[in-house]
Amino acid sequence: MAVNVVTVDRNQKAGVVPILKGHWVTLQNFWRSLFLRQASTIQYPEQKRPVSSRYRGIHVLTEREDGTPKCVACYMCATVCPAECIYIESGERPEKAIEKYPTRFEIDLLRCVYCGFCVDACPEEAIIMSRENDLVGTTRAELVIDRDRLMARGKLVEHGAGYRPVDHDVRRPVRLKALERLKSEHGIVPGMPAAKTPRA
Amino acid sequence: MPKCTIDGRQIEVAPGTTVLQAALDHGIHIQHFCWHPDLPVDGNCRTCMIEVEKMPKLQIACNTVIAEGMVVQTKSPKATEAQRTALEFLLVNHPIDCPVCDQAGECYLQDNYMRYGLYDSKIELEEKVHKRKVVDLGPIMLDAERCVLCSRCLRFEDVVTGTNSLQFVNRGDHTQIATFDGGKIEHDYAGNLADVCPVGALLSKDFRFKMRVWFLKQHESVCPGCSTGCNVFVDERDGEVQRLRPRRNAEVNKSWLCDPGRALYKQIGVTERVSGARVRGAGGWEGVSVAAALDRVAAALKDAGAASAFVATPQATNEDVFAFKALAETVGGKLDFRVGDPQLKLTQRIDEVLQRADRNPNTQGCLDQGIGKDGVDAIVSACRAGSLRALVLQGPELLRIPELVDAIAKVPFVAVMATHEGPELDRATVVLPAAMWAEVAGTFTNYQRRVQRLSAAVPPPGDAQPRLELAAGLLSRLGKPLATATARDVFALLAKATPGYAGLDYRAISGLGAALAPAGGADSMASGEARA
Repeated sequence: MAVNVVTVDRNQKAGVVPILKGHWVTLQNFWRSLFLRQASTIQYPEQKRPVSSRYRGIHVLTEREDGTPKCVACYMCATVCPAECIYIESGERPEKAIEKYPTRFEIDLLRCVYCGFCVDACPEEAIIMSRENDLVGTTRAELVIDRDRLMARGKLVEHGAGYRPVDHDVRRPVRLKALERLKSEHGIVPGMPAAKTPRA
Repeated sequence: MPKCTIDGRQIEVAPGTTVLQAALDHGIHIQHFCWHPDLPVDGNCRTCMIEVEKMPKLQIACNTVIAEGMVVQTKSPKATEAQRTALEFLLVNHPIDCPVCDQAGECYLQDNYMRYGLYDSKIELEEKVHKRKVVDLGPIMLDAERCVLCSRCLRFEDVVTGTNSLQFVNRGDHTQIATFDGGKIEHDYAGNLADVCPVGALLSKDFRFKMRVWFLKQHESVCPGCSTGCNVFVDERDGEVQRLRPRRNAEVNKSWLCDPGRALYKQIGVTERVSGARVRGAGGWEGVSVAAALDRVAAALKDAGAASAFVATPQATNEDVFAFKALAETVGGKLDFRVGDPQLKLTQRIDEVLQRADRNPNTQGCLDQGIGKDGVDAIVSACRAGSLRALVLQGPELLRIPELVDAIAKVPFVAVMATHEGPELDRATVVLPAAMWAEVAGTFTNYQRRVQRLSAAVPPPGDAQPRLELAAGLLSRLGKPLATATARDVFALLAKATPGYAGLDYRAISGLGAALAPAGGADSMASGEARA
């Protein structure tokens, strides 16, 4: 049973009025941008649209105060990456406190799906994302960016930091879930007092 | 046979079985650190606490022998609480630096922590006792902070190698393992220390920071280093072998593997591999396809007929040797495999644990198939006399012997199946690229006459092919093709043709292999097993 059937008269001639109406809208926009400078377009690339502070743009590797990468080459990001675009090779640092560091760290930005899982997985806040989103290169190889380019702070300063653990503490929900599972599956409630009192 | 009940399950065990062993055999997991199937029970970690009915106190599962009618609870509240508490003690001074620890992914502490752990440590990081980190012990790196003091390494050095180089030093919280005066570990079984260590305290220097273990894919195989035939896992990622690990076989190698054996994976992915066929032409070597090279060899063999000789290699699998033997019989040439007299060294030990003097994995298999019939000496003297018109070598061993250079130079046509480049290959007329042990499926027969399977873990480089396929290619060019060319089916043919192998197939020998009756009576089986 048909409901709300509208029969359209296909032989109806296009009226002059709707055309004029459309022109009126266009004309209004023309005047607005001509006299009031209220254009809806922007002068890209000189001008850029603002993006969210949690925008997931091109990755940045953060560094310690001495300029070495914070990354400890634990491969968590490479493990979690659904696009398998992160390639790491690790080496040994002379300091015993931080034994491991990445000798190679490459992200294939053409494979990357910008999901931000690498940022979530990182235990050291070593990989964060910037708000940079214009990915331009003349060859594919150019868009596989290496450790030194990932560590270039200039981009971060220029574009601003994007998705990072500071504004989106990812560990908490994961942890709560683990605790819930522990309780439901093993009946274990971790025995810490709720509030931690600092020791003398 | 005592019967007991573990977690409500009726289990019948052999007399003398401990609760932990019985539980693990029946798929009931009880956490443990110091217990190892091939080391004496120590009972020091106290993490395998279980509740036994009518016993007032909790018992450790690893040292409680099952008695008739015993009723065991491994997951009762009392037992779980004790297990958690013991685990908490192990974690008191543990740095929990899993992100940089190579053991992560195969670590008992990590697994049990996720299972039973107290997720919030009561000890602040700054209050933990800090111990020595990154201590170089030669082939092993020691991180004393991660150690749970289970003494597995001490017992291994005590019972298996008898070297006793590691000991506990200091007391209480500050106890740690150390070598005397920081000395290096110098025996050939150091890699096992990293394997027995349930945590990341002892780690292999060779594997250090190379790869996270969860990326690795394991393939069951057999070590090709000597006639012992230790069972191994080939751990590989993306076609590149990263390490060898012992695979437990109580009849052959227990849980151990020697360091020279462990290092053999390094020969696989090297650039010196022979990756294409080549033929000596007028102006030196000419690279050709494998098919063209096989055509050339087949033509030479047709021409030579009985004036040819074939030398097999005990480095090849039984299947390779079978096809090679079929080739020799088709052509009608002489056949042998011995270079020197390796079968005399077949069972001779060079240490008290695993290694044997015969550095070939399949000498016994060659003997079983009757390859050693004409004698290499006869072949060499035929070479010298100039009566041989073609010589086919399954491996380059013969070319490496300096005394034989002049003899081999008298043979107008020498074809060799080679895995690695070397100056000796210049003495050949045709070089055929052969796949190595980790790249082929097949079987080795070890000194005990145990037939064990290897699986193809990684692809061979370039045009290289299993020796089986090279021989099969020659056979079909000579008009006598093998009925089949897969290793599994060739083994079926082999089992029919070889005395003692009847009834064997790949299914029967998967896993731990199949032991055959010893060939030469009891003496060739003498002192077979590894000590401990």
